[in-house]
Amino acid sequence: MKKLINDPAHYVDEMLDGLCAAHPSLTRDGPAGRVIRRTEGARAGKVGIVTGGGSGHLPLFTGYVGPGLVDACSIGNVFEGPTVDSCMAAIKAADGGRGVLRLYGNYGGDRMNFDMAGEFLEDDGLELSTVLGTDDIASAAPEERSKRRGVAGIVYAYKIAGARADEGASLAEVTAAAAKAVERTRTIGCALAPCQIPGAAEPSFRIAPSEMEMGIGIHGEPGIWRDTLKPADAVADEMVDRLLAERPEGSGHRVSVLVNSLGATPLEELFILYRRIAERLDKAGLAVVQPLVGPFVTSMEMAGVSLSLCFLDDKMERLLAAPASCPFWRVG
Amino acid sequence: MNLTVTHIAAGVALAHARMKTLEQELNVADSRLGDGDTGGMLRRVLDLMAEQRMDGIDDVGVSLGILAKAAAAATGSSLGTLLATGLLTMSKRTKGRTEIPWSELAPLLEQARDAVMARGGAKLGDKTVVDALDAVSSALAGAGDQAGVRARAVAACDEALVRFRNEPCRMGRARMYADKSIGMDDPGMLAFARLTESVCRRGT
Repeated sequence: MKKLINDPAHYVDEMLDGLCAAHPSLTRDGPAGRVIRRTEGARAGKVGIVTGGGSGHLPLFTGYVGPGLVDACSIGNVFEGPTVDSCMAAIKAADGGRGVLRLYGNYGGDRMNFDMAGEFLEDDGLELSTVLGTDDIASAAPEERSKRRGVAGIVYAYKIAGARADEGASLAEVTAAAAKAVERTRTIGCALAPCQIPGAAEPSFRIAPSEMEMGIGIHGEPGIWRDTLKPADAVADEMVDRLLAERPEGSGHRVSVLVNSLGATPLEELFILYRRIAERLDKAGLAVVQPLVGPFVTSMEMAGVSLSLCFLDDKMERLLAAPASCPFWRVG
Repeated sequence: MNLTVTHIAAGVALAHARMKTLEQELNVADSRLGDGDTGGMLRRVLDLMAEQRMDGIDDVGVSLGILAKAAAAATGSSLGTLLATGLLTMSKRTKGRTEIPWSELAPLLEQARDAVMARGGAKLGDKTVVDALDAVSSALAGAGDQAGVRARAVAACDEALVRFRNEPCRMGRARMYADKSIGMDDPGMLAFARLTESVCRRGT
């Protein structure tokens, strides 16, 4: 697989250098420079929000550091969790004196290292809470929702919790806002072609040129079915049907939609899908609020898309519309 | 002679040397059940562990603690973090001692196994590195000398690989390939077995 890189061993560090050079609002910090934080530092008196995970998913995770979103991020090697030291440094960088929410996807390495970091820091008296992104409906059955992976839908939790923190809410209130955003968000992805970790022997999975796979994860985790590539409308219909089948209990009629590229799929194809998705949601009696179309959570050169639906209530809708700014997403 | 820092340093050097050929073997094994980077990740971990200087250190616990910190600094991957957890557990249990009788290796590995299970959430039988660690700690019970430890550890790893090869993976990313994983080695278990073999067969 062709990649425009210098050395696989320098892939992450050179990427982070470039990211911060292009966006002076971000600063590299922490052990081995594997923390990205807001250049202006944590805002005193505000609950901090920290995230983290493996590289290879830009704009996730580092790209969402900014006002109204996330305060700091620990970043690991490609598809590897961040180290415990970088998790500790990121938590400290996000700390404005009112506690820190750890908000990240449900993956083993991320969980272990954020947990260990918390165990060390709680001894120092820092108040912490945790919310895990678990929006990928293809990764476990509804009765095992807590085992699901976090994928693109986590950006809704960043936005809603970030806005709540900006309002001056307490750690418990920010945590509740993040947990509600996770609870109200559903995502499903599909892939047309794999990606390959720099330096790895093989692509993350193999798929024939004529095939697609529904339900695949952002690291190439296996999906629900693999078959001949279908037309965009058929793909959109199936994704909408699967997500609506898991509509959260008590949800209303307003929903935000994220049509996300996994990396190689162009905006043109995303809009072809969005056209159909919007029609289907309208027919289902759902009003679309603040649609998002573009690359929000990728897997390097993987071809494919994910669809996320965030079922809103009035408070979530207000928080989603509140001002926020990061290198890849601006609201207000 | 008992286990000392000299043995530990020599073991790290042997494992580090083994990664030159093992890296791609593990990447290929992982690409069948994961994302294909277990070899590259472990190579980085052992690169950093091998850089740690043990000159002037004779406390077994201190040396294991240095290696645990190196592993934790090199990666945040699940397997690397579990390795750091196991080393840190053994470090705490041996701090202040310059020699550990070979007969104490079994209980030390049992404690490491329990800490790894608590951190990672795997159970015995899930076909993970925990099962290899459990096989070795069980096999070493009663082994009182270095030659016996080496032979039993290598045999236990081989047996664990064979025993679990036709079982499905029940943990981590590989659990999603449960059917496909039957007939394949778990990459973490394979790594543990190959590195144990490299340390024990060539002797430290």
